Amino acid sequence: MNPLLDQFITEGRDILQTIGERLLQLEDTPDDSALMGELFRLVHTLKGNSGLFDLPEMTRVLHAAEDLMDAVRDGRRPFDRPVADRLLEAMDFVLALIDEIGDSAEAAPPNTARHANDALELANALRGLLAAAQATTPTATETEPAATPAPSPAPAAMPLEALPSRIQQELTQRLEAGEPLCWLTYEPEEECFFKGEDPFHQILQLGEPCWRRVSSREDWPPLAELDAYRCILRFEAILNTPAEALHEHFRYIPEQVRIIPLQPPAPTSASSSEPPPDAETTWSFNVVLEAQREILGLTDNPPWLSGRLRAVATTLEAAFASIGQVVERDALEQALHSADASHSSQPLLNWLDEQQRRGDTQLPTAASPPGAPAEDIAPPPEAQEPQEPIKFGRRAEDRLAGHTLKVDQAKVDRLMNLIGEMVVTKNALPYLANRAEEVFGTRELAREIKAQYGIINRIAEEMQDAIMQIRMMPVSFVLQRFPRLVRDTARKLGKEVRLVMEGESTEADKNIIEALADPLVHIVRNSLDHGLESPAERSAAGKPTEGRLTISARQESDRVVIEISDDGRGIDPDRIRRKAYERGLIGEPELERLTDQEAINLVFAAGFSTAEQVSDLSGRGVGMDVVRNAIACVNGAVELHSQLGQGTRLRLSLPLSMAVTNVMIIESAGQRFGVPMDRVAETVRVARNDIRTIKRRLTTVLRGRLVPLVTLNDLLALTIEQVPNDDDEFAVLVVRIGADHLGIIVDDCRETVDIILKPLGGVLAGLGGYAGSALLGDGSVLLVLNPRELL
Amino acid sequence: MKRILVIDDAATVRLYHRSILEELGFEVTEAVNGLEALERVAEGDFDLYLVDINMPKLDGYGFLRELRGKDMPQAPAIMVSTEAGANDQKLAFLSGANLYIVKPVRPERLASHVLTLLGMTPNGRGAPS
Repeated sequence: MNPLLDQFITEGRDILQTIGERLLQLEDTPDDSALMGELFRLVHTLKGNSGLFDLPEMTRVLHAAEDLMDAVRDGRRPFDRPVADRLLEAMDFVLALIDEIGDSAEAAPPNTARHANDALELANALRGLLAAAQATTPTATETEPAATPAPSPAPAAMPLEALPSRIQQELTQRLEAGEPLCWLTYEPEEECFFKGEDPFHQILQLGEPCWRRVSSREDWPPLAELDAYRCILRFEAILNTPAEALHEHFRYIPEQVRIIPLQPPAPTSASSSEPPPDAETTWSFNVVLEAQREILGLTDNPPWLSGRLRAVATTLEAAFASIGQVVERDALEQALHSADASHSSQPLLNWLDEQQRRGDTQLPTAASPPGAPAEDIAPPPEAQEPQEPIKFGRRAEDRLAGHTLKVDQAKVDRLMNLIGEMVVTKNALPYLANRAEEVFGTRELAREIKAQYGIINRIAEEMQDAIMQIRMMPVSFVLQRFPRLVRDTARKLGKEVRLVMEGESTEADKNIIEALADPLVHIVRNSLDHGLESPAERSAAGKPTEGRLTISARQESDRVVIEISDDGRGIDPDRIRRKAYERGLIGEPELERLTDQEAINLVFAAGFSTAEQVSDLSGRGVGMDVVRNAIACVNGAVELHSQLGQGTRLRLSLPLSMAVTNVMIIESAGQRFGVPMDRVAETVRVARNDIRTIKRRLTTVLRGRLVPLVTLNDLLALTIEQVPNDDDEFAVLVVRIGADHLGIIVDDCRETVDIILKPLGGVLAGLGGYAGSALLGDGSVLLVLNPRELL
Repeated sequence: MKRILVIDDAATVRLYHRSILEELGFEVTEAVNGLEALERVAEGDFDLYLVDINMPKLDGYGFLRELRGKDMPQAPAIMVSTEAGANDQKLAFLSGANLYIVKPVRPERLASHVLTLLGMTPNGRGAPS
């Protein structure tokens, strides 16, 4: 994809994002004119950008949106819900187009013509809102730019010469009679038939022309190869229609037409005898000169008049130089000086008249030796410097505008993987030191290796930390879609909901943030669907009709905490008990025994869904267990609190980062295993005598608390006894499972290491009880246990 | 080498103009709004300005008025807009523009105007390689 298109897509997405946010803000404060101005500017910028490419559908919709925003900004149309809805819809359409373009690998934007009908409908809908508001005001803002800003003295001689002399004569007469004749060239795009365009009809609609010609833009292929659906025609016509009217007629396809107002042939010989330097140059020169005349004709007298006059003088001098005409510096300086002194443009105008009068006679000869640069035009010192070829990257360091670097995610991920490998590799050094000492008997070397390891270890850790920082993303990355989602969902459900978001700038690792996205959507939909009541129900319960949904994020030590709370009807523990019983999730005894909190937690049980009827919003057959599992996948935890009639609060707690896992190595049955440190509460030695059997289950008392015990070998279905140490004490790993503690008896607890946890792949992927595997520094593979699943 | 200041808040437009102008062999500096443009002007002279109208902080009109109020060599300025109305052109001229063109600008047309405003003779207008 070419860089310009790339840039357009990136910027386009950013702009659309901002537009969406501003629209929602504007709904809350419809009178905020600054906001409105910004919104207009954003739409306007996007439209301008889209015009750089061949994207008529996008431009069409954006143009209509811009006009509507313009009307809103000027107060011709109030900003209300239909406007917001339409604009959001239009922006969604544009985003879809941008995504489509972004997905295509082509260098040029793909043809989006099949969206033409949608675009037309959207544009008409937008304009419909506009028309309703301004039945009296004509849509004057509406001339889509074509090519020429001002009616320019066009190079009429060029095209007219090709015409038969009879028509030339007729045209000259009509021009002299003051008819607004225009030369129109219309080259329909090749795919025009697929867009529902009818070029021939377009031309016929213009009425009887003075002259008309249809030709092909390229040689016709042999009949067998002719593609009848490809339009390669060129229509040319000379019409007695003002240029403005023609622009209006072709306003949706301005890039396909060229409209040149014809001028009566100049009385001088310039147009017919010697050809001017070239058409484009002369054209530019004339446009520039005309513009300067208009500027000099301005009658205001601003404080910056002097600067304006000097700029005009510079411009005039350059313009004459560009067609090879010598300008007498002194005369120009003098004119400028007296103009400046008298606060009047007249001296410069006089100079210009004089210069043009002389130029008319001078021009043909001055321009004829094209190889000789006019060295006597007293240019600024470097004006005649030979044109250097472009050097890319030149002065690049001067141009770095901001201090933020946009980097492809994949590059950062790669960096992260590399540092992960490095962390593991550096762990080989202590093994090497041990080997140096024990196998090769060189203690000295062993010590040096260890010292060096200390340094490498520190640098690696700092580096890892630095890379981790790069990957940190604000929570707003996933929160930003909620204003829209909540708004649309609430409307669909006929509820009034106010969304409050707090702490959006809280940061966490990219993987964590990404893992949050889907669970959050599910939770929020649940809240909207089941939690918050309808306005009628709310007012009956004595609550304000507008429900409140809060999403807050904050950092608590090394975890990110996200809370989603609503002030809805809350969860009824009795109903949950009943449901759970009906579904066979709990037995009769639990029905009585469960505390309210425990009952509420049952919503996390697999196969539990409280929705009485499946709605298209949250009742998609997935329940809160999916949320919990998704969060658990990134080592997060979910807590649910609910007060009947008061509301529900869900608390997600996630680690800041998950790239490197700290595990404790344990031994059992002669093998080594890893256990994630964030699961380990403590490790203790428990004497055989202190282990009791209660109801056939092993337990022990730790700090006055009864802790159930299991042996790892049992969990792994190994029929080997755990091995105590010489003092007949067992090593016990106390792990956290939810709010409870559980002791796992192992043979020995060893050191903790940082590892990169890789999920088990292939046929082992379904193996429960293991979080994954990791490569140790000595090259061996460590299986990492997942205590929760193991139990 | 001629120096051109491109002022536009849309990065895409800046890139578009830059690519055209650099191909012609000019040195291009960018500014994202009028205020930043004034900072660039304070740092060094330019031979031409390409000015967008709608920009945050300081728009194109404001920038030109400030620029023309300065006691310094005054280079030509092209105002680049999306509106083709005669009144828009007048507004541009009132604030100090020397030429008013409408987006999207065809590369050849922009090149032609730029060369004219920089006083490049026809033979200086070789086709870009």
